[in-house]
Amino acid sequence: MNVSKVGQLMASLSLTVFVVVFSWNISYADGKGIFASKNCGSCHQIQGPAAEKTFEDQQKKKGPELWYAGSKFKKEWLGEWLANPTAIRLLKYNSVTEKNTEKHPALSKKEADEVADYLMMLTAKEVPVGAVTEAVNPQGKNMFQKKYGCVGCHSIKAGAQKVGGVSGPDLSDAGKRLKGDWVYAYLKEPKVFKPVKRMPIFVSIINDNEMKTLAGFVAAQK
Amino acid sequence: MIMIRKMFLIAVFSVGILAFTGKGTAFAVSAEENYKFYCTQCHGMDGKGEGANAKPKVVGIDLPEMSVTPRNHTSPEDMNKLTDIDIENAISGGGAAVSKSTIMPPWGKTLTEAEIKDLTAYLRKLCKCKGK
Repeated sequence: MNVSKVGQLMASLSLTVFVVVFSWNISYADGKGIFASKNCGSCHQIQGPAAEKTFEDQQKKKGPELWYAGSKFKKEWLGEWLANPTAIRLLKYNSVTEKNTEKHPALSKKEADEVADYLMMLTAKEVPVGAVTEAVNPQGKNMFQKKYGCVGCHSIKAGAQKVGGVSGPDLSDAGKRLKGDWVYAYLKEPKVFKPVKRMPIFVSIINDNEMKTLAGFVAAQK
Repeated sequence: MIMIRKMFLIAVFSVGILAFTGKGTAFAVSAEENYKFYCTQCHGMDGKGEGANAKPKVVGIDLPEMSVTPRNHTSPEDMNKLTDIDIENAISGGGAAVSKSTIMPPWGKTLTEAEIKDLTAYLRKLCKCKGK
């Protein structure tokens, strides 16, 4: 290869990298702008760490915190959900008696993808990337449905039917939405993400290996 | 100077006690508040065992009823079968600890022992019964 060809190759490579980085930056910046202009921050906290200390602190919140959204959600799902939102927790946020009938504002697909790009940048160091293998496994199923009774509060698919409780988020298609690594981190260090919540603390009840297996099972539900 | 040293020792001692008792809710709440926040999910706001998880259709959600019936805390017949220790064990270790359904999860890492004792006393008020 002669010198001019190497030069051409380098130039086109640099241009490609520049275009990719530049357009991604625009998308991220736009997403942040859309998040601000739509006033999403009035319901969703984007600054960590979690500050709630009392039931009252939690009850004052209007929606789930998003300061670790990039560690929690799968990007493709986030982009789709923001354009076409549906209830994730079947009961209204913070309620144990009322059905969730709230219409979350919908964004255009372009805006949704841009906000997703932005939210994916909000990560938490407590989520160990690559710790969990997302796979349906009989041990995880047994823990979820029997050993630890998760199904009491979380719905899940059982054959063609959906079964389970409604006070926790619906996990029947959790694998489209949640990263297994985050589910594991949430079980392992719940107070980092939600210091005040209705789910029991399972630290030192479910051991570390089981947490990973259970998280992998949850993140494989599609 | 001695006064300052005394105050310092008291401060260190207090922090030590707080650190030692730091398990469970880090703020003072009544048994009723704990009941309303945690237990009502399955046992219902009135304690009759008909919370949203037990009977989703009652709140307008089309899912089948829970496979087991949560204990009716207002029933003296049911609650009289249990000693206070049975109740404390059920709250702390979940259904598995008292040979009942594991759908009742363990709350022993969420609530302090004192809070569990207070909740037990609260359940006795709900059933208006003393137990075995």
